[in-house]
Amino acid sequence: MIGETLELTVVAVDDIAPSLRHVRLAAADGGQLPPAAAGANIQLRLQGEARTWRNAYSLISQPGRRDEYEIIVRRVPESRGGSAFVHEVLKPGDRLVASWPGNLFAPQRTARHHLMIAGGIGITPFLSYVADFAHNGTSHALHVCCRESETGTFAPWLQACGDLNYYWDADGHRLDIPALLAQQPAGTHLYVCGPAALNDEVIQAAADAGWPASHVHCEHFGAALSGGTPFTAFLSRSGIEVEVGESESLLEAIERIGATAPCLCRGGACGVCVTGVLEGEPEHRDHYLGAAEREGGQLIMPCVSRARSARLVLDL
Amino acid sequence: MMQSQIVSRPRYRELAAEDTAGAHLLIVEGDTLAPGQMAALAAAFAPVADRLQTWLVSAPATALALGKVRKLQTVDEAAAALDALQEGFGIADRLYLQGTEPFMWSLATVAGRAGLSASQIRMQHAGSLKRRVWCTHCHQTTENVTTNIATCAGCGRELLVRDHFSRRLGAFMGVMVDAEVPGEVPQREEVFP
Repeated sequence: MIGETLELTVVAVDDIAPSLRHVRLAAADGGQLPPAAAGANIQLRLQGEARTWRNAYSLISQPGRRDEYEIIVRRVPESRGGSAFVHEVLKPGDRLVASWPGNLFAPQRTARHHLMIAGGIGITPFLSYVADFAHNGTSHALHVCCRESETGTFAPWLQACGDLNYYWDADGHRLDIPALLAQQPAGTHLYVCGPAALNDEVIQAAADAGWPASHVHCEHFGAALSGGTPFTAFLSRSGIEVEVGESESLLEAIERIGATAPCLCRGGACGVCVTGVLEGEPEHRDHYLGAAEREGGQLIMPCVSRARSARLVLDL
Repeated sequence: MMQSQIVSRPRYRELAAEDTAGAHLLIVEGDTLAPGQMAALAAAFAPVADRLQTWLVSAPATALALGKVRKLQTVDEAAAALDALQEGFGIADRLYLQGTEPFMWSLATVAGRAGLSASQIRMQHAGSLKRRVWCTHCHQTTENVTTNIATCAGCGRELLVRDHFSRRLGAFMGVMVDAEVPGEVPQREEVFP
């Protein structure tokens, strides 16, 4: 099983809601999978007819479980194709190549209390969190903002949740974020995972209320945002020029022409894919570079960021 | 002696109120107060005066302070009071400490046990540079050390007082100074007056 990538077999696919597909994966050789902790994700290589997608998904299986990985994939209407592939093409018995599990959103082990806020499919990392906290008897609360019709969808993974609250977009059912954040005991760590607007609102509300930044954690799902106006990238070291289409990321375009680029999260969070920019103006969409680095314009995260100029020259 | 090459040696900054929505608790070691210092603190904490408590420990009876004031006799009494806070601390609360290092760290460690994180505690040094020293040999602490070499209150060894600091113990490391050549103890000097 040791290698740069994992060979997986699809054990089962199950539609748990009209746009949500639950996928169970096992090692193709029938052996054990590498263990993954709460909050971990894997990157799946989805081989379509015309193109390949590499999408990262949170593992929702019991942390440490080695016989199967489970993920839940939401079908996104303006999908770049990866989620549509999972919903339309993927079937039991299919083989997939995946990365080893990575974890950029692990729970803080010193926390006295874990306060989780999920928006929509952003609940997935918290399914493994809840399993971990329930198993260890750690104090926790989960606040889920979702469609009213989906409040029961994740129940099978949340039976052990000690404090579970649902909110949806109707009078009397919306989450009052400032009120929730106002009365939390010292030693609480706050986690948010959802659409960018929710993440930003929670992070701002926490700062306004006086939460130390060290106690506020966020996971973005950024890959869905990596499309945009087409542009040209020139890889100066390899001497190759590549056209980046509107529905693919710069990283995907680089991979499409066969160049290997290091990457991990594919969502602009981990910093592994950071690449030098020699010419052109990047359009930064990541959560990794600091303000000074962004302004410097010398670095880019190709997994999510694009170009303001028609052409970018990369040190690759 | 407030600067060191040793990275574990804490650095302290002038206290400034952080304008957060939580409760603000300022604890001052009263007998380290220089003239005018209380007025400076009052100005620094004016923005949060409505949610500020000031605890004055071993302060002159005439000392004035900002916010809701509580007077305590000793650092142990203050530590016990901190430990006994019924309502506990909130995530937006802040604790500000001013005084000697043994004073501040006695209270910071109690607050840490109550769940307050390091990012919620601010400290400003005032008064003596005296140190609490933890003996690496017998694990006892010796209080009020002002010299480069101190006799361990636990085992009697002559300890070289280092700049290595433990936030958990609120103490500096002391190691046997004549371990290589027994009896060869350098001149003792007052370096932490």
